Amino acid sequence: MPIALYRVDDRLVHGQVVIGWGKPLDLGFIVLVDDGVFAAEWERDLYRMGVPPEIELRFADVTEALRQLPAWRADPRNGLVLTGDVQTMAALVRGAPPIERVNLGGLHHKPGRIPRLPYIYLTADELELLRSLAANGTEITAQDLPTSAPVALEGLA
Amino acid sequence: MTNGRGRAFLRLLAVQGAWNYERLTGIGLGYAAEPLLRDLETADPARHAEASVRSAEYFNSHPYLAGVALGALVRAEYDHVDGAQIARLRTALTSPLGALGDQLFWDGVVPATMGLAGAAVALGLGAWPVVVLVALYAALRLATGWWALRLGLACGMRVAPALGTSWVPRWAPRAGLLAGLAGGLLLPVAGRALLAGGEGPALGVAGGILAGGLAAAWALGPRVTAVRYGLLVLGVALLLAWGLP
Repeated sequence: MPIALYRVDDRLVHGQVVIGWGKPLDLGFIVLVDDGVFAAEWERDLYRMGVPPEIELRFADVTEALRQLPAWRADPRNGLVLTGDVQTMAALVRGAPPIERVNLGGLHHKPGRIPRLPYIYLTADELELLRSLAANGTEITAQDLPTSAPVALEGLA
Repeated sequence: MTNGRGRAFLRLLAVQGAWNYERLTGIGLGYAAEPLLRDLETADPARHAEASVRSAEYFNSHPYLAGVALGALVRAEYDHVDGAQIARLRTALTSPLGALGDQLFWDGVVPATMGLAGAAVALGLGAWPVVVLVALYAALRLATGWWALRLGLACGMRVAPALGTSWVPRWAPRAGLLAGLAGGLLLPVAGRALLAGGEGPALGVAGGILAGGLAAAWALGPRVTAVRYGLLVLGVALLLAWGLP
């Protein structure tokens, strides 16, 4: 079964992901692709506490994710692939096609970022990277929850 | 770090007071951290300046458990943990503190308290059970907040195993069961009380609300939540009440 959602959210695994998207998508597993979390056991322990037992939480760095994505896509359960930044998602889109849609769920204030939506702040470089993904056929939309309206990438400029 | 726990705890009660989209509860956490960081100002002014800035960065969690993060982050500052590691701890704590707090309170203790209070009123026990339940809820909330702050301050960067083996993950799922029990008690008891005067009209209204909810869920999918539908029904009821003599 194809991955139900590819999401970029710097809060990583949290309520909007687990409950907000997890219930309507009937998620069976979430993959958190983050080099730092993958390397730190104490961080993985904390993230596991935020996920109910019916959802399996897996961890991967970018290399492992690129290797495992075909297997995750073949998993009969619905899955969600989550990254904490645009660069990591771009590496997945370019390294393991096809990823047809990417959801921007939450990118918050950092130096250099400009508010695009209340929950989306992007630097000029991040916006340019997203545009390059869109130019290659990946649909990019911002949508924090299934109950809110998606905003197309052009609306974030 | 010898002082400031009481002031930090009181400030934590308003941790959402400066909520905004840029930092969510970060400003509130920074305000609560200030009394705890004062000793660092004397001992290491440069570190104190860095810690103060870090303490108000982006953060979000369940407000009742925010003390775990506050305590752990402040303790890590006194332990001279690398700033990048502290930032990672801050991010990593948002998930379990949000999920566990939501499960324990928003999906557990709050609906359980409301269900029990509603059932008590429907059974004709008067207002006192409501007052007692609200007082018990407030006591639990304050005790949880104080416990959370102490746990964080005691553990610092080692807070993950301490939180994982604490009472919170054990009781969070049980709170949901309690909420289900209270809801299951409330529905028949309240239904019996509401139907006591005239079953015909009340049954018709209840049936209409139920049918409308099912139709809306079928037609609109996940955009229809219980809260939205409940507010819509409440709004229609108020309009009808104002419009009818």
